[in-house]
Amino acid sequence: MPKDHDKDVYPEPPSRTPVEDRQSSLPNPALILSKLFYYSVDLPVTTFRDIVEGIQSGKKSHYYHQKFRRVPELTQCQEGDYVCYYEAEMQWRRDYKVDQEIVKVIQERLRACQQREGPSYSQNCYKELQQFEQVSKAFQSRYGDLGAYASARKCLMKQKERMMAEQQQA
Amino acid sequence: MVGMSFLRTAAAFTARLNPLKRTCQASNLLSRTVARSEQVVVRHGSHGKRMFIIKPTDFYDRRFLHLLKYYIILAGIPMAALVTFVNVFIGESELAEIPEGYEPEHWEYYKHPITRWIARTFYDSPVKDYEKMMALIQIEAEKAEMRQLQLEVRRHMREKGDGPWFQIQTLDKNLIDHSPKSSPDN
Repeated sequence: MPKDHDKDVYPEPPSRTPVEDRQSSLPNPALILSKLFYYSVDLPVTTFRDIVEGIQSGKKSHYYHQKFRRVPELTQCQEGDYVCYYEAEMQWRRDYKVDQEIVKVIQERLRACQQREGPSYSQNCYKELQQFEQVSKAFQSRYGDLGAYASARKCLMKQKERMMAEQQQA
Repeated sequence: MVGMSFLRTAAAFTARLNPLKRTCQASNLLSRTVARSEQVVVRHGSHGKRMFIIKPTDFYDRRFLHLLKYYIILAGIPMAALVTFVNVFIGESELAEIPEGYEPEHWEYYKHPITRWIARTFYDSPVKDYEKMMALIQIEAEKAEMRQLQLEVRRHMREKGDGPWFQIQTLDKNLIDHSPKSSPDN
């Protein structure tokens, strides 16, 4: 087996953050600024919040996320059954909203990753990048250019066009 | 440029013509020679000489701004106080899982207490709105179906002629007076 590279020439980075070992006697500006921020902003805000929560203690009301039942989709409706059309349309609109939020969450993850990694994001955030690409491609192909007056019918017609294009290619 | 120098010469000429009417003349400002006034140093005990400053009226502007501020603050302060009290003493709701077998009321899906109050007092539940819309759609669908059926029935009745529609009432046959044609020799 070939020899491994010389570990002393390219030392691996330390696995734990090393303890700071200050040599200079100058004051640390980061420490000063953080203490300043703490006393001027953090402490008053936290005490105010604690006072308010003390006033509000007990009798907390709750709010819930609404759960919707699944109804038959547009493809499963009889022709001329306008009530079924309406329910399918409303379900499609809710799903559209949910998908928009999903895309926003993935975007937020990518943004956070890029902020963390800095200049080397294209290498370190590979998973997030792939996920974002996949999700945005899927969103674009399904809901892409439907416009402001998007509806379930238009989405279905777009899907039909997509399937026809795929069939022509194959 | 030439016009300016022409104006200046004309101003100097008019200045020379009547030396008595010198002050506050437009030509005085145009000409390079300005009437020298003797400047006297005067010390007042107050903020200086009272001037009657001539400027366009700002009465209407100031009145408008005053009224604007007044009416905004008139409603603004009670609303701000109300919202502050609600936020401090009642506070927002917390997110929780829906307990088993419990159907939350439609206002319990909102976070802020004022939104909850509005949804509870003024708005119908979204389920009710949904059902109302579906009822309207059902009514319209039934109306459309009725109209289509009516057209179909019309077509059939016109074609076949054995239905109650498209019947033209003729006179009773018993009313016909056959007497002119009853005997052949009339």
